Amino acid sequence: MADTATPSAPAAGKEPLLRVENLRKYFPIRQGFFGRSVTQVRAVDGVTFDVFPGETMAVVGESGCGKTTAGRCLVRAFEPTGGSILYRNRDGDEVALDALDNKSLKPVRRELRMIFQDPFSSLNPRMTVLDIIGDPLRVHNITSGSELEERVADMLLRVGLRPEYMRRYPHAFSGGQRQRIGIAKALILSPQLVVADEAVSALDVSVQAQILNLLQDLQAEFDLTYVFIAHDLSVVEYIADRVLVMYVGKMVEKAATDELYHNPKHPYTEALLSAVPRPDPRERSQRIVLEGDVPDPAHPPSGCYFHPRCRYAQDVCATETPALRPIGDGHEVACHLAEDLDLRGITDLVPRD
Amino acid sequence: MTATPHAATPSALPPVETPESQEDMRLLVAGQWQLMWWRFRKHKVAMVATAVSLLIYFVAVFAEFLAPLPRDHYAADYTFAPPQRIKLILEDEFGNREFHPHVLGYTVEIEAVALRRVFKPDPEQVIELGFFVDGLEEYRVLGIFPSRKHLFGPKDPTQPFYLFGADKLGQDLYSRLIFGTRISMTIGLVGVALSLIFGILLGGVSGLFGGTVDNIIQRTIEFFRAVPAIPLWMGLSAALPEDWDAIKRYFAITVILSILGWTGLARVVRGRFLSLREEDFVMSARLDGVAELGIILRYMLPSFLSHIIASVTLSIPGMILAETSLSFLGLGLRPPVVSWGVLLKDAQRVQVLATAPWLLIAAVPVIVSVLALNYVGDGLRDAADPYSR
Amino acid sequence: MSNSNHNAGADILLDIRGLKTYFHLDEGTVRAVDGVDFTVPRGTTIGIVGESGCGKSVTAFSILQLVEKPGRIEEGSIVLNTGGQNRVDIAALDHDSEELRQIRGKDIGMIFQEPMTSLSMMYTVGFQMTEAIRLHMDVEKDEARDRAIEMLQAVGIPRPEQRFDAYPFELSGGMRQRVMIAMALSCDPMLLIADEPTTALDVTTQAQILELMQQLQEEFGMAIMLITHDLGVVAEMCSEVVVMYLGEVVEQADVDTIFHNPQHPYTQALLQSIPRLGHSHEGRLNPIVGSVPDPYHRPSGCPFHPRCTQIITGRCETVHPEISRLDPRHTVRCLLHEDPHG
Repeated sequence: MADTATPSAPAAGKEPLLRVENLRKYFPIRQGFFGRSVTQVRAVDGVTFDVFPGETMAVVGESGCGKTTAGRCLVRAFEPTGGSILYRNRDGDEVALDALDNKSLKPVRRELRMIFQDPFSSLNPRMTVLDIIGDPLRVHNITSGSELEERVADMLLRVGLRPEYMRRYPHAFSGGQRQRIGIAKALILSPQLVVADEAVSALDVSVQAQILNLLQDLQAEFDLTYVFIAHDLSVVEYIADRVLVMYVGKMVEKAATDELYHNPKHPYTEALLSAVPRPDPRERSQRIVLEGDVPDPAHPPSGCYFHPRCRYAQDVCATETPALRPIGDGHEVACHLAEDLDLRGITDLVPRD
Repeated sequence: MTATPHAATPSALPPVETPESQEDMRLLVAGQWQLMWWRFRKHKVAMVATAVSLLIYFVAVFAEFLAPLPRDHYAADYTFAPPQRIKLILEDEFGNREFHPHVLGYTVEIEAVALRRVFKPDPEQVIELGFFVDGLEEYRVLGIFPSRKHLFGPKDPTQPFYLFGADKLGQDLYSRLIFGTRISMTIGLVGVALSLIFGILLGGVSGLFGGTVDNIIQRTIEFFRAVPAIPLWMGLSAALPEDWDAIKRYFAITVILSILGWTGLARVVRGRFLSLREEDFVMSARLDGVAELGIILRYMLPSFLSHIIASVTLSIPGMILAETSLSFLGLGLRPPVVSWGVLLKDAQRVQVLATAPWLLIAAVPVIVSVLALNYVGDGLRDAADPYSR
Repeated sequence: MSNSNHNAGADILLDIRGLKTYFHLDEGTVRAVDGVDFTVPRGTTIGIVGESGCGKSVTAFSILQLVEKPGRIEEGSIVLNTGGQNRVDIAALDHDSEELRQIRGKDIGMIFQEPMTSLSMMYTVGFQMTEAIRLHMDVEKDEARDRAIEMLQAVGIPRPEQRFDAYPFELSGGMRQRVMIAMALSCDPMLLIADEPTTALDVTTQAQILELMQQLQEEFGMAIMLITHDLGVVAEMCSEVVVMYLGEVVEQADVDTIFHNPQHPYTQALLQSIPRLGHSHEGRLNPIVGSVPDPYHRPSGCPFHPRCTQIITGRCETVHPEISRLDPRHTVRCLLHEDPHG
């Protein structure tokens, strides 16, 4: 990414490819003999962001923060409870993904694809690689027969696998190779937008880098736009242009990657960054150790969800829910005290530098 | 990023990881049934049990040929005649020993005290046995080809030949056990087939739609499972009209047995559907735009077909036992239909057993077939998911 | 490779020599641990790093003889020096002996990636802890209870008296991991083996647990053997590092040497392949080509040669390298560093 003119703000003049507004997804908790809905978990509670063509937008947070649910709403694997998802399709028309039924979703599904986290469970073990990658082509009546085989072979080459492998079953491949198959399956329909849900976190360290590089190469080659869902902040810094941080279903901060990493404005982001172990004993960081656990999303705390663990919390934090607000330079944060705090970014945390 | 060279060009591919041997190559391209077979094959007991089960079904199919006597042949002279021993060597009056399989006929004495007829082997009456001998009546192989041949039997079909002894009508227990195999083994299959249809339909609906439908079906299953089996079967079969013929009764009994049999299968099917629905590869297919029916038929069904086959195999023995118990109680099949249960019914009374203990032989095929099918089912269940790690 | 003089003697807690643990499967023999030597000095933290299938966890399980069938320790010695002349070769003990049971839990505590592997759902935290304590220490029930609560307090569990009666499923992942650490440390072991203790945890919870382990080490003075794939965790926690690949130790040195002067091509490549915070502008990542070979098809010669960029063609494919000692605390198994004196 060294050669990119770092898009700290979205490229001016470009229309966003995806506009997500106040996205909400609540899951009912059922109890009792007849499964009455008792209460609900607000897995995603008011997430708003734009994604511009060609960029990589990362959604980060800890387990249970709602990032995966949000991603699944984007590709309509889940039906959102509320909010809108506007997607600009190839023809330039904006379609409301949240309102489409299954039938009208089908053409959109060609352009909007997903890469799964687990390379073992996301491939049907009972199909050959040819069928796995080629199935989308067949389903959308794009091609079949030997032409389909050719397209699959071509795609296999592009993701770094030998076309001879296509008669094999998934069990014949290592984790990294399977993830390449998953990527090939996602890209075979020449999509515009790819949602990658923890696409590298199940892989070995040495393989992770291969897949990250591959994702970047393919992005350049096919003009892809990524929504990259991850928990590993070092991976995100490497691949993302902009980052959105979530905590217990809510957005806490959103900014361009460099800005967010060097100049975080939310205490949670600061703690998250400080907690990443550095692979260098000379950079042993002064990590900020948060008290307690991530709250149960079914029973979140009052006010700012982060206040019980926040070392800067004041009275207002316990009573009033902070709204996400812009503080300049495309940086948005949901913290009452954002302007008053002097938080440490990644460089401040390292004694050297 | 525009200046970045594309690493994903063929020249930059990682070194080919070609399989080292033919065997590895086969593993890489092996589909699920192949993998399952390889795994099943390792289960030695299951392999033996499979052979035994196949043999039993072979007997069921070719009963007429394998049984020396027709099913309903009786001979009042030989009521409760004991089993004969097959002797292989025949010694003639000059002391020459020759290979001549034979049994000895009977002499009958009346015991003075009990006024009971006692059969004794009579060395004078040599009944010669042979392979592929002609029988008493003509029958049809598989219901098509007429034949008189039997695998083995007396060379003169009118002579008595009771390998496992005779019952109160002088019927040959051995032949009747062979005919009973047909009924007992198929009632399991037909019963399971019916259960399977109910089970897959209701379990599938339950697992796919969830919600209220699921609730109703699940509560119904729980109700059925709470009903004690034997009294229910007894009540239902007692309610069958007396004047129904054997065939009608046979099918009525299978239906009665599958009324409870489907619940187990429905649960298996529902459970599979529920867990598969959450699988990433199913969601991935949905995101590909595969229609719901396609997902069920092409993604979900192949994933649990093997489990269904294993469950089905495991439920056949239950059916066999159920039929046996019902018939034993006199509520299931009735003569002239012959099943193992019907044969065992003859061995109910102690007095009869004291005279003719060989009637209990009818329990042996029940035990053997139930055990064999259980082992086959176990093997299948272990092999059903060849991808588990 | 003799036990060199400079670190011989009393400060070595655990001395592993030529350890081989194989798994005999239908598909063939997996040499999960294939001749591993290293020592754990008293009171320090040693990191065992490697990717999946490198044998790091099997090594840990071998130390406690917890390897399950079809796995078996084939060769080697694991000498535990519990003080003075008190040496036991754990590998030579019967896997069901009283002596071994005393070592497990008493001298060596272990924590796992998934706390539920060692905590039972059926009993309260307190019950499990007091049972463990009374198994190894000659104390009354009340004393054991006090000790358990004291340990729960030590691992930073709020309101330990109440948590004492909680069932494991009532606790969060981070809390369970704390309970497991409390259990592992309740008999004051000399060595704590931590097998991927934070891999299943979120990054902020991981920070809590790592902090806790450092703090407890200062307090109790035990040695820690930290098994992980995360080089960041190693750099933060360890003073010595053992790098493993396909069942072998390929490099061992102090932490600064491993990260700033690594000599084995695998260590070097691994360090170059990981994304680092604050270094994203340095360009593309440098991945290692290929993937870890599957255990049935171990490459000949040096097992790393098919992925190595510094391969000596003609030698690495056939010659299995011996360990060379570059300096007293730095060993490497690579033909590039062959010991000219044999």
